[in-house]
Amino acid sequence: MIAFWATAGVLSAAAALLVLMRAARAATLAEPADPMPVLYRRQLAEIGELADRGLLGAAERKSAEAEAARRLLDAADRPSEVWSAASPRGVILLGAVSVPAALALLLYLGLGAPGMADQPFEARLTHWRAVSPTELSPPQMAAVLQRLTRERPDDPEGYRFLALAEGASDNPAGAARALRQAVRLAPDRAELWEMLGEALMLQAGGQMTADARAAFNQDLKLDPKSAAARFYLAQGQIAAGDRAGGLAAWRALEADLPPDDPRLPRLRRAIAEAAAQPAPAAGPALSADQLTAIRGMVAGLAARLRVKPDDPDGWVRLVRAYAVLGETAKREATLKDARVRYAGRPDILDQLSQAARTEPMR
Amino acid sequence: MIAELGAFALALALAFALAQLVLSAAGRIRRSTVLAAAGEGAALAVFGAVALAFAALIHAFVTSDFSVANVAANSHTEKPLLYKVAGAWGSHEGSMLLWCLALTGYGAAAVAFGRSLPRPLKASMVAVQGALATVFLAYTLFASNPLARVADPPVEGRSLNPLLQDPALAIHPPFLYAGYVGMSVVFALAVAALIEGRIDAAWARWVRPWTLAAWSLLTVGITLGSFWAYYELGWGGWWFWDPVENASFMPWLAATALLHSAIVTEKRGALAGWTLFLALAAFSFSMLGAFLVRSGVLTSVHAFAVDPTRGVLLLIILGVTSGAGFALFAWRAPKLAQGGVFAPVSRESALVLNNILLAAATTTVLLGTLYPLIREAVTGEPISVGPPYFNLTFTPLMAALAILLPAGPLLAWKRGDAAGVLQRLWVAILIALAAGLLAYALVSPRKAFGAAGLAMGTWIIAGGIAELIERTRGFRVAPAESLRRLVRLPRGAWGMTLAHLGLGVFVLGACFETGWKAERAETLPLGGALDVGGYHLVLDAVSDVDGPNYEAERATIRATRDGAPICVGQPERRFYPAGGQTTSEVAICYRGASHLYIVLGERRETATTPVWLVRAYWNPWATLIFLGPVIMGLGGLISLSDRRLRLGVARRRELPA
Repeated sequence: MIAFWATAGVLSAAAALLVLMRAARAATLAEPADPMPVLYRRQLAEIGELADRGLLGAAERKSAEAEAARRLLDAADRPSEVWSAASPRGVILLGAVSVPAALALLLYLGLGAPGMADQPFEARLTHWRAVSPTELSPPQMAAVLQRLTRERPDDPEGYRFLALAEGASDNPAGAARALRQAVRLAPDRAELWEMLGEALMLQAGGQMTADARAAFNQDLKLDPKSAAARFYLAQGQIAAGDRAGGLAAWRALEADLPPDDPRLPRLRRAIAEAAAQPAPAAGPALSADQLTAIRGMVAGLAARLRVKPDDPDGWVRLVRAYAVLGETAKREATLKDARVRYAGRPDILDQLSQAARTEPMR
Repeated sequence: MIAELGAFALALALAFALAQLVLSAAGRIRRSTVLAAAGEGAALAVFGAVALAFAALIHAFVTSDFSVANVAANSHTEKPLLYKVAGAWGSHEGSMLLWCLALTGYGAAAVAFGRSLPRPLKASMVAVQGALATVFLAYTLFASNPLARVADPPVEGRSLNPLLQDPALAIHPPFLYAGYVGMSVVFALAVAALIEGRIDAAWARWVRPWTLAAWSLLTVGITLGSFWAYYELGWGGWWFWDPVENASFMPWLAATALLHSAIVTEKRGALAGWTLFLALAAFSFSMLGAFLVRSGVLTSVHAFAVDPTRGVLLLIILGVTSGAGFALFAWRAPKLAQGGVFAPVSRESALVLNNILLAAATTTVLLGTLYPLIREAVTGEPISVGPPYFNLTFTPLMAALAILLPAGPLLAWKRGDAAGVLQRLWVAILIALAAGLLAYALVSPRKAFGAAGLAMGTWIIAGGIAELIERTRGFRVAPAESLRRLVRLPRGAWGMTLAHLGLGVFVLGACFETGWKAERAETLPLGGALDVGGYHLVLDAVSDVDGPNYEAERATIRATRDGAPICVGQPERRFYPAGGQTTSEVAICYRGASHLYIVLGERRETATTPVWLVRAYWNPWATLIFLGPVIMGLGGLISLSDRRLRLGVARRRELPA
């Protein structure tokens, strides 16, 4: 705190000194010389050069020179001001530097956080590593584990813990990234593949993706009994339109699970829901918050395309987004615009039509 | 402590900027050299303080100090060091501080280099700069404090927009801001001249180096931005007439006009009012640009997500500062002395025509940029004013300018000789026509626009060279004598010639690329191929890459021409988990001045294998588009180094003569 205020004082003093030194020097400086003669001489030289190049006849040269001379005389005739080099009273100069310094102090006290220490990441990390893990929040834990995995890059267990911490911090992308390292180091651990599959699905907002499916398949290959893998793969099957196949896989899983398995009620609920669903079910329903967020992103995309319309991918995404949201009118309007814009691009037109056919979600 | 010292330094800067304004104004009014000098000292102190604040911000970014709100919002521990440093100006608050650094830096430079300015003019100028610094520092400190702290810092930062994570972020904004804000000196000089009620050849001479410096830096800055957009956005284009691009282009056009009109004011004492007007307009356009990107009225990679309050404040700053400048202009300009007369065919007329065309071009860009915004604000209905509008309005104006350009430097002041100029340029006319006709006849597909552009670019270049030959009396005196004249050519002349040649090079590239670019997009499985511009591209492999703060798919695409291997491009599609965004890294194969430009798009699963959307462009002569403006900027800097421009230095050399 003292060091801070001392340094701040030194800074203010340095600024004040700069002002005073400059003022003190001014009294000894002569008035800058009149630049007009120099300009005049230079203009004469340029006139000569033009004449030399044959761009100016003799008569023009004369009149140009006369004009330059007239301007020189004009400038010389103008009355020049007399400035005083006398030093103003000391009070004024003192005020000139102390008032700003005081103002700076007031401004800073109003806007700054006096004495607040820097908090560089390294120092905070060192502190988190020193305290007991139970006192850390999941993101802090993840930061510590991140560093640990960097120090021990060959330990799959480190990555697994990192993935758990990232998952608890609502960062499925970070979890998936850690798990990808983990399965690279320990490719025969089924539960790591299962975690990876789940993380990838979370990252995709609950949707089954090709990468997630590959992870679950790997999990099943290593552990044919893996309930999670069987559950999600079947869910993916249903989402992709194969309701009968998915339901059959779920029923088989239901039969294989021991009767006291805690996952059974959830599975049975899923089976009941899927069986009652008339249309092919998409992924899990989105919450109102998620929907609002998605609508916001779509509006942002639409706005961006208005400004930068030359973005075929963007148009395809926008059409697909309206289709998914079930906003048919907007979908059609956007589709029409985009079709006109890319009339000469069959590849884009194909993608647009495909996007427009996307099923709306529930 | 460092972050807080930075915050204190910023407060100190604001207080001393106010002192700069008051002391310089008092010095001017009381005709006191001591008070005026104290104001100058304050200008130096302000710059020092802002530089300290800026260093503190960079320190916070480098050490990932997330207790600084701006760092938490725009940085991440995994971000490479270069982007941590450059990230300091990747956000609204940080770039505002960069703006202030440039503004006060120019203020300090004007104090340091302005020794030959008459005292009253200099004191007024320093006072105006103090006012500008006060306004912008106050805005930064009160509405966009980059060093504001948070009590409970997050564990990890939200990271910087991945589109900005590119080495260009380290150089494009500093150049651009140095250009934008450099116009503030010109603005201050103009307001000071209006206050003094005096504008003469010497004033035009003082304005020139500052305009040149700002113009050169702005030229390079815009070009860097254009190149960055070209390779980063993956849209295969280099100019989109995006409002933000236009925002940087308008001050450039105004400054270009100013550079030319200031010559007339200096040499003939004419166009004084117009030159003043342009000097005010150039910085006003800079501020308009700052308002457009920071107000939230635009959606663009440049637009900072900011709340409307900040936009309104910036609009007020824009209105007050440039409004005051123009009001002063309306009041005082009519009283300025009129300059010499000139004939319709003369160097002056050529420069006036240049200014009319540039001003008209600026106006079309201004209308095309603001009209959609105003209309959307009024009716709520968005419209898009895209390239078609600018092609119809801006391009013909520029074409007229290009056609007239080579004649200008060959015309004499006061009364020129049109026949003599044509006589000196006939070889250039023939070369240009031949180039255009050849291009029209030989290049397929046949494009009249491309051929016309080629002729025009050739015309500017050939005309520039003709002027150089003319100046050195080439082919009329012995080669040794010509060479001697060439070597002794003043740097100002070299600068002009280079700038004009650079424009010619740009026109060549722009017209050729626009006329004959080819584009293909296809979804390819591994081993799939597409053909573009005579090249055969095969998607050989796609691999996963684990970057420092992103994951990516990297494609290996082999290009061949008639079976001969040409190059291997590795475009990437990157995913940045911290912000959840995807960007594409373009692969460009440079073939002479032309580019084979390859973009990797989304991966899609089909029933059997994954496929990737691959887009490829053949952009002929694209390098010239970026090379031309760099040559122009270089010309500006060479002209700036001309000793004759610096009255103070030159005087000592010339007096003994």
